[in-house]
Amino acid sequence: MTFLAFLFILISLVTFVAAQLILKRAMEFSATNGMRNSYFTSRVAIGVFLMTVSFFLTLGLLQRFDLSYLYPFQGLSVIFITILAAVVLKEKLSARLTIGSLLITAGIVLVSMS
Amino acid sequence: MQNRPSGFGNPWLQLGVSVVCVFASELLLKRGASEVAAPDDAFSWTGINGLASPLVWWAIVLIIASFISWLYVLRCIPLSLAYPLSRVVDILVPLGCWIFLGELISTLRWCGIALVVFGLALVAKPIAKMEERL
Repeated sequence: MTFLAFLFILISLVTFVAAQLILKRAMEFSATNGMRNSYFTSRVAIGVFLMTVSFFLTLGLLQRFDLSYLYPFQGLSVIFITILAAVVLKEKLSARLTIGSLLITAGIVLVSMS
Repeated sequence: MQNRPSGFGNPWLQLGVSVVCVFASELLLKRGASEVAAPDDAFSWTGINGLASPLVWWAIVLIIASFISWLYVLRCIPLSLAYPLSRVVDILVPLGCWIFLGELISTLRWCGIALVVFGLALVAKPIAKMEERL
């Protein structure tokens, strides 16, 4: 795999996870403050934009690689969330999460070698 | 979960609908992307040329359908239960690649996929709990 392909896989995952978090925050905000305000609309717009970026990058990657090759990389999103939880929520990583993340990483290394 | 709607409104049925839509949309996206593939063209990294394929548009419809049914699922089933169950799609997609797309999956790749699936099975519940808080 080229460096460029790996970079695009990473960007498509990061934009996807970021979009999820931004949209979730926006929805939580709307529950108390309603939807007719610029904060909510701008967050939803950013979230939808990031999801669109992620979608098209995936479409570009699918023109070059097998789906069975690209799909396991989505497991990396779990690792991003784990890192985010540790940084944003200051959560201590449980043994279960650490072992799971290591398994996913090992699996992705094997897939990228195949 | 009391007064759970029955029939098409059953949240467990909707969870199944959501999973099937994600599964089918992934396979359609791959078929569609292969139809219009232009790997020598640098612009095709953006994926926008994929819109020329009708299969990609069908995939988009399915993605929207899966999103709507997923939102409905989340109204009735807690995320820490629904999310681990929804990960069954990680087993379906590689199987679909093999059966429907005819991708030749090497032993090394099967082993990698298996490790990812085990890892996801292990972290799905704690991740769902984290997502509820994030």
